[in-house]
Amino acid sequence: MIIFLSRRLLMTIPTLFGVALIVFLLMRAIPGDVVTQLIGVGEDVSPERMDELRRIFGLDLPVHVQFWQWLTAALQGDLGSSLRTGRSIATDLMLRFPATLQLSAMSLGIALMLALPIGIVAARYRGRWPDYLGSAFVLIGLSVPGFFLGILLILLFSLRLGWLPPAGFVPLFEDPLESTRRMLLPSLSLGLILAAATTRIMRSAMLEVMERDFVRTARAKGLAERVVTMRHALRNALIPVVTVVGLQFGSLLGGTVIIEQVFSIPGVGRFALEGINLRDYPVVQGAVLLISAAFVFVNLLVDVLYALIDPRVRYG
Amino acid sequence: MRTWLLVTLLVICGAVLAQPQSGGVLRVGMQTDPVGLDPHLTNATASRNMLENTYETLVAFNSAIEIVPGLAESWETSDDLLQWTFYLRDALWHDGTPVTASDVKFSIERIKDPDVASPRSSNFATVEQIDVIDDRTVVFTLSQPFTPLLSFFASSLNVIVPQHVVEEHGDLQNVVVGSGPFRFVEYLPQTRLVLERFDDYWGVDGDGNSLPYLDGITFTFYPDATARSTAIQTGNVDWIEYVASVDVSPLEADPNVVVVGGPTANYRAVQFNHERPPFDDYRVRQAFAYAIDKQMIVDLALFGVDGVVATGATVPPGNFYAVESPYNVRDVEKARELLAEAGFPDGFEFEFYVTSTYSFLRDPAEVVQSNLADIGVTANIKLEDWSIYLPNYLAGEFTVILTGSSGQADPDAFLHTPFYSTSSGNWISFADERVDELLDAGRLEPDPSVRREIYREAQERILHVSPMVFLFHSAQYSANRPNVQGYEFYPNGSYLGFRTTWLDN
Repeated sequence: MIIFLSRRLLMTIPTLFGVALIVFLLMRAIPGDVVTQLIGVGEDVSPERMDELRRIFGLDLPVHVQFWQWLTAALQGDLGSSLRTGRSIATDLMLRFPATLQLSAMSLGIALMLALPIGIVAARYRGRWPDYLGSAFVLIGLSVPGFFLGILLILLFSLRLGWLPPAGFVPLFEDPLESTRRMLLPSLSLGLILAAATTRIMRSAMLEVMERDFVRTARAKGLAERVVTMRHALRNALIPVVTVVGLQFGSLLGGTVIIEQVFSIPGVGRFALEGINLRDYPVVQGAVLLISAAFVFVNLLVDVLYALIDPRVRYG
Repeated sequence: MRTWLLVTLLVICGAVLAQPQSGGVLRVGMQTDPVGLDPHLTNATASRNMLENTYETLVAFNSAIEIVPGLAESWETSDDLLQWTFYLRDALWHDGTPVTASDVKFSIERIKDPDVASPRSSNFATVEQIDVIDDRTVVFTLSQPFTPLLSFFASSLNVIVPQHVVEEHGDLQNVVVGSGPFRFVEYLPQTRLVLERFDDYWGVDGDGNSLPYLDGITFTFYPDATARSTAIQTGNVDWIEYVASVDVSPLEADPNVVVVGGPTANYRAVQFNHERPPFDDYRVRQAFAYAIDKQMIVDLALFGVDGVVATGATVPPGNFYAVESPYNVRDVEKARELLAEAGFPDGFEFEFYVTSTYSFLRDPAEVVQSNLADIGVTANIKLEDWSIYLPNYLAGEFTVILTGSSGQADPDAFLHTPFYSTSSGNWISFADERVDELLDAGRLEPDPSVRREIYREAQERILHVSPMVFLFHSAQYSANRPNVQGYEFYPNGSYLGFRTTWLDN
């Protein structure tokens, strides 16, 4: 297990390097740079002055030199500071990552609380009304866009019922209760959609497992259906679910820009998007590095979970 | 327009009837975060609007966009218009040290400094030398007369900053020490920006009560328009900026919300790249101007509330320098004749570059497209995100584009930047000798009534050669709870109105 883990950890290095390089090149391939976005439309700035500004921002250097400078600094733990706000990128990421983590964790919690029971019940009552209800839930959840659901939730719970504030963020450690309250609507918007996808996987995995020999054996030895389902079938059906949920959690950590935008959550995704729009290269690099590291880490975690759920899975 | 008048009347009545009360924190819902906190290093409206009450300018605009005293109590100019002397008032920085003439010199030199990344270094290009006479007196010597100078001093990102703080911290991105009515407390990105009352501020109201009335302002951020409107309706905030055009009527109908706003200083136009035929022919450009129905754009694309028809050129109607355009009545016949004269009796096709990011720049394009179809011209709309579209525009990578620019005060800013042949803000490669002569003359002339004649002639010439089809001037709306009193709407989009805002509790 330790060998496996260290090998996997080593493999993340080329992954992260590759992501950083691709993002670096992509950012420079799109039109405009921090200078054009700084000046805007209504300003009389001569081309000579624009070149001067590029020099101040270090954009006059060849691209490979710029990448090397960024890389060597990043390897020493220095992600630099934003070209536009002058703020330390590491500090800003530390401010934003907890918000993203909180949103992702709450969404995942809501998704699992809904998806596991609905999926199991749908599989057990296959072809009967609980199954149809479950399918309806899946269909609606998969077809409603998240931002639309978010706005509907705001209109219902804030404007109509007045139960929750429409948007806005309070850091978790500043006021845990208020923070959770404000995270409810965005988590629900993400969680419901996530739940739909997970329900479908849960149901089909359960159905597949229920056909297996060991389930028939369990039934044959006279175990109650509840025990068969919960102890024998569920555990085996969880493997594909863990894979899918792990991937989903990874992409949640990468930011759920639209939901963050609708509910004004200071997440990593919005940070990256802002960086892209302003062509604030070091911000984009830093945010993408964190997002990809989080994604890789979650995948590693999923592999470990496999081993915990299914002792047959051996790693060497 | 009607609403705007009504609201202004209400505000005036309210001000007459009720006595301002001191105290209370105003909760403001903003659309976006500031893009950096150093006012000299950004052009972002969001930065300006949150910082302009923490800092001060040498002179300032009032809500009628007239120049009034700021940190300078008074000023005078020499007869040759080359020397401008400013006399400062007694004012303190938020750290308790006095504001001096050296701070003024330092600030303007900082904006001009080629090694400081200020996007506005050219604002003070004519300033040759700055002399500190004593702690309260500073003299600017210009290389040539430049009458728009005061409007650049009044621009609320060209603020006076404390020399000792910049020298200690390198820049002002992570520290805010101003001399304005509010003191900076904290900023958590995309969460909140907090200001509190500066007790030693010099400002007083007409009755001698010290300003500001508010104990503080807390800005929070709601990028989504629906979330922002809901926040004001549910009372989660007291004031919001940028009410979306679709939300204006519903919010006006809500008894717990007051909508304030009106046309602001800006212009939106169909702009031609003069280097690309057939748009190098003024007749083709005139034909477009006659064919496009500006009223229809305001009614359909802007819901009738999001702007007013451009009845002149870039200077909006109602402005002292505004003129009447010959294209105010749509004339399809005349447009067809002009096209035929230019050699296109059967019309032509062209690529119409439009941004998808802002509805007020996107939706009018469809009206323009259908208007042009009436004269046989096919506009192929190419939609792109603002962050791609802007650099392409600045690089001249377009044939015809729908865009505009905001925040002008002096007619020079409305006309010189986009139309002077060697101006770097002339992104359409327009050049006309007569226009250049007149714009030069305007910069040298101090007398407003003579300037008005000069700029009238310049705009008439511009309208004749038609480098752009002027469509509309955008409106801007804010909304507040009924207990928010004394807020003044500034047509240049500034939020200096918070200085006189108070809460009726």
